[in-house]
Amino acid sequence: MLKLPQSSTDRKHFVIVGALVFIATIALGFFLLAILPVKAQHSVQAEPIRWLFQLHVWLIAFLFALVVVFMLYALIVFRKRKDDDSEGEHFEGNATLEVIWTVIPLILVIVFSFIGFQTLRDVTRGGDEVQVEAVGFQWAWTFNYPNGVVSQEMVLPVNKPALISLRATDVVHSFWVVEWGPKQDLVPGMTTHLHITPTKVGEFQIVCAELCGLSHWNMVAKVRVVPEDEYIAWMNQKLAEQNIQMASR
Amino acid sequence: MQLTSLGLVRGIIGYFVGLVIGMAVVVISRLALGMSAWDQEAGWVGGIIFAMIGFMWAVGSLTDWFKWTRGVETPFHHGPPVGKPAWTRYFSVDYNHKVIGIQYGVTGFLLLILGGSFALVFRAELADSGISFLQPGTYNTFLSMHAWVALASILLGVGGMANYLVPLMIGAEDMAFPRLNAFAYWINVPAIITLMISMLFGWDSGWTAYPPLSLRGPVGYQMVFWAIFGIGLSSILGSLNLIVTMLTMRPKGMTLFRMPIFCWAIFATSIIQLTATQLIGLAFLMLSFERSLGMPFFNPLYNALGENIGGQPLLFQHLFWFYSHPAVYVFVLPGLGVISELLPVFARKPLFGYRWIALSSLAIALVGFLVWGHHMFTSGYGEYLRVVFMISTLLVAVPTGVKFFSWLGTLWGGRLTFPTPMLFTLGAISVFLIGGLSGPILATAATDLFLHDSYFVVGHFHATIFGGFVFPFFAAIYYWYPKITGRMYNETLGKIHFWLMTPGFWVMSLAQMTAGTMGMRRRIADYDPALGVEPVHLLITIAGFVIAFSILLMIYNLFTSAEIGALAGNNPWRSRSPEWQIPSPVPEHSYARPITVVGEPYDYGLAGSTYVAMAGAGDD
Ligand code: HEM
Ligand SMILES: [Cu+2]
Ligand SMILES: [Cu+2]
Repeated sequence: MLKLPQSSTDRKHFVIVGALVFIATIALGFFLLAILPVKAQHSVQAEPIRWLFQLHVWLIAFLFALVVVFMLYALIVFRKRKDDDSEGEHFEGNATLEVIWTVIPLILVIVFSFIGFQTLRDVTRGGDEVQVEAVGFQWAWTFNYPNGVVSQEMVLPVNKPALISLRATDVVHSFWVVEWGPKQDLVPGMTTHLHITPTKVGEFQIVCAELCGLSHWNMVAKVRVVPEDEYIAWMNQKLAEQNIQMASR
Repeated sequence: MQLTSLGLVRGIIGYFVGLVIGMAVVVISRLALGMSAWDQEAGWVGGIIFAMIGFMWAVGSLTDWFKWTRGVETPFHHGPPVGKPAWTRYFSVDYNHKVIGIQYGVTGFLLLILGGSFALVFRAELADSGISFLQPGTYNTFLSMHAWVALASILLGVGGMANYLVPLMIGAEDMAFPRLNAFAYWINVPAIITLMISMLFGWDSGWTAYPPLSLRGPVGYQMVFWAIFGIGLSSILGSLNLIVTMLTMRPKGMTLFRMPIFCWAIFATSIIQLTATQLIGLAFLMLSFERSLGMPFFNPLYNALGENIGGQPLLFQHLFWFYSHPAVYVFVLPGLGVISELLPVFARKPLFGYRWIALSSLAIALVGFLVWGHHMFTSGYGEYLRVVFMISTLLVAVPTGVKFFSWLGTLWGGRLTFPTPMLFTLGAISVFLIGGLSGPILATAATDLFLHDSYFVVGHFHATIFGGFVFPFFAAIYYWYPKITGRMYNETLGKIHFWLMTPGFWVMSLAQMTAGTMGMRRRIADYDPALGVEPVHLLITIAGFVIAFSILLMIYNLFTSAEIGALAGNNPWRSRSPEWQIPSPVPEHSYARPITVVGEPYDYGLAGSTYVAMAGAGDD
C-alpha cells in the first residue's frame, strides 16, 4: 500500500486526487451521456441543442468528479483514527484559493454565456418557406395553412425551413415535438413563433407541454414530415376536398 | 382537562364559526344589492377571510394586542400553563421561541409526510403506463396539492430551525417580538386547513397557478390563493422578527462576522422572505379578485374591434416568478447554513473561509432577485430577455461554487467522524451537487427550450430541494435532537435511514432526468409507452417508496428515543456554539445570565480558545 503523507498540504495528496479526478471525469462523462439520451435529433434546430447539452455534460462530469473525489478522499484519509484525540489542523481559510475559485467559475460563466448566446441564435433562427399556424385549445390542435387549408394533422415537407405561428384560444399551452427539440408556449392574446426545419421523414407526435387542465396529458396531434412532392400532392388533395365541401354547402 | 382549553381546538371552532359568518355576510350583502343570494366564488372568499380571522382570534393570538388597545398590562407568563399538563403548551399560543420553534418544526414535518404521501399516490399511478386508479382530474389535484403542501412544509421547517436556533445561537432570551412570533406561526394553521378544504373541490394548475387556467377551474382555486396568502403573511412577519432579533439582540462581543454561520444563512433568507413574498401574495390576490369580482388583470378580453381591453397572462408569470425563484433560495439557504454549521464540528477544524461563506449567502440572495425570467424562456416574452436572464442565472453558479469549495477546505485535514448528522450533511452535499450542476444546463436558454416542462426539470429541482433542504433538515433534527429532548437518538437506526434514503434519492433524481431527456413531459397523468420511459418510471416509483420507508424509520427512532435514548449531557458533539454550553433539554430561560463572546466561533484545534464566556451560568 501507498504510504500517505500526514500533512494535509503535502503535494502528494493533490497529485493522487488530480489523477483520480481525471479518471472519474472520463468515466462519469460517458455514464451521463449514456443515461441522458437527448431525443431531439430530427431537425436543424435540434443539432445545436444536442451539442450544447453534451458540452454541459462534460463540464458537469468534471465538476462533479472534482467535488466528490476530493470529498471521498478527505473522508477516507482524514478520518479520525482510533485512540487519536487530537483536533484537526488549524487553518481558517485561504484568500488566494477563494479568489481562484471565484474567478475561474466567473470565466466559465462568461464563456458559457457567449456559447449559450450563439447556440440560442442558431436554435431560434430559420426561414419561412413553409408557413403554418397551429391553434391550441383545450385539448386538441388544428393547423391552418396560408392557402386556407385546415387540417387536424400537421404535414411539412422535409428539409424546408418552416415558420410555425402559434395561437391559443383559451389557456396557455405549449407546442412540442420531442424529436425536433425546442418548444414554444401558446399564450392567449398574443401570437408566438417557432422556426423548425425538419430533417427526417416520418410521423411524430405534437404534444402540449404546459399543464392546461383535465386532458392535458392527452392533448396530442400527429405531424407527418414527407418528401416535397408528397407534400404538394397532399396539399392539392386537401384543397380539392375543401372546395368540394364548400361547393356542396 | 377540557378539550376547549387547548388553543388549537378553540381555533378550529373559531374557523368554522367564522366561515359561516363570512358566508352569511356575503349572502346578506348580495341580497341587499339585489343580486342572487349565493355565488360560490364570493361566498367562499368571504367565508375564508372570516374563518382565518376567526381562528386567529379564537386561538388567542390576538388577545394581548386587544388588551393593549385598552391599556391592560400583559406580563409574560413563563413555563407550561398553570394547572395543565406540560404538553398542552404546544397546542396553544405560547410565546417562548423554543416552543414556537418546535411547533413550526413538527407542523412542517407532518406536512412533509402529507405532501410525500400525495406523491406516493400518483407515483404508484405512474409506475406503468395506462390509467389505472387515478382519473386525470384527481391526478391533477394530487399533483398540485403535493407541490403546495411540500412547499409549505419547507417554509415551516425553515421557520422551525430559525425560531428554535437563532435566539439560542446568539444567546438571546427570546425573539424580538414574541407575540408577533406566535401570530406568524399560528396563521399557518388556518391557511393549511383552507388548503385542505380545496381538495373537496379540486384544482388542476400545479403550484404555478398560471392564468387563464387558474381563472377557469373549480372554486378550489380560491382556497389555494388565500391559503398561500396566509402562509406568505407568516413568512413576511417571521422574517421581519428574525432580522430585528439578529440585528439588535446579539450579546457583547458578537460582531456580525462572529455570528454562528447558520445565522448568516437565516439573515439572507429573511431578506428574501420579507420582500419577495409580497409579490406572490399580490399575484394570488389578483387572481382571486379576477375570479370573484371580475377584475380583468390577466385574462385577455376583446372588444368589437378585436383589441385586447383585458389583461396579460404573462404579467402573472412575471409576478409569480419574481417571488418563486428567490423562494427556492429560501428553501435551500438555511439548509446550506446547517451544512456549514455542522461540518466544522465533525471535522474538528475551523470553517474554511467563514466570511466568504457568509457573504456568498447574501450574494446568492441578491443575484436570486435578477433571474426569475429563466422560468419563462419558452413563454413568448421578448427574444433579448432570454439572453439577459441566461447570463444572470449563470452568475448564481459563482457564489454557489464558493460554498462547495469552502466545504471541501473544511473537511481537508480534519479528524472526521461520521455519526448520523454528519452522514446527512455529506449526503446533502452530494445531492445538492446533482441539483446545482443540473442548473446551468437549464440556464443556457437553447437547451432549456428542449428541457423546459420535462422531467429533467423535475429531477433538477427535487435534487436542489432535497440537497438544500430535506437532507440538511434531517441532519439538523438528528444533531439538535439531544439538545431538544436531552436524549440521544438510536445511531444504528439513523445510519440505516441514511443508507436507504441517499442511494434511493440518487437513483430517483437521475432517473427523472433520464425520463426528461427521453421526452417525458412533466405533470401528465399518463404517458405514451412508445417513448420507452416505462422502466424508468418504475424505477422512480420504487426509489420513491424506499425513501418514504426510510423516513418511517426516522419517525420511529425519534419517538422511541425520547423515552429510552441514552442521556445526552450538555454537549455530546463537543461543539463551541453557545447552545451546547447549557443543559439539555434547554431550560425555560435558556441562559441564566447574559453571555459574552470572546473568540471566533469555529476555532476548533486552536489550543486554549473559546467562543463564549458563560459568566458562571448554565447548570442552575
Ligand atoms: C439553489 C437551489 C435551487 C433550487 C431550489 C432550484 C429550484 C428550481 C425549481 C423549483 C425549478 C422549477 C420551476 C418550475 O418550472 O416549476 C427550477 C428551474 C430552474 N432552475 Fe433551479 N434551482 C436551484 C438552483 C439552480 C441553479 C444553481 C441554477 C442555475 C445556475 C438553476 C436554474 C434553473 C433554471 C434555468 C430553471 C428553469 C427550468 C425550466 O423550467 O425549464 N437553478 N429550479
Ligand atoms: Cu395544452
Ligand atoms: Cu429559478
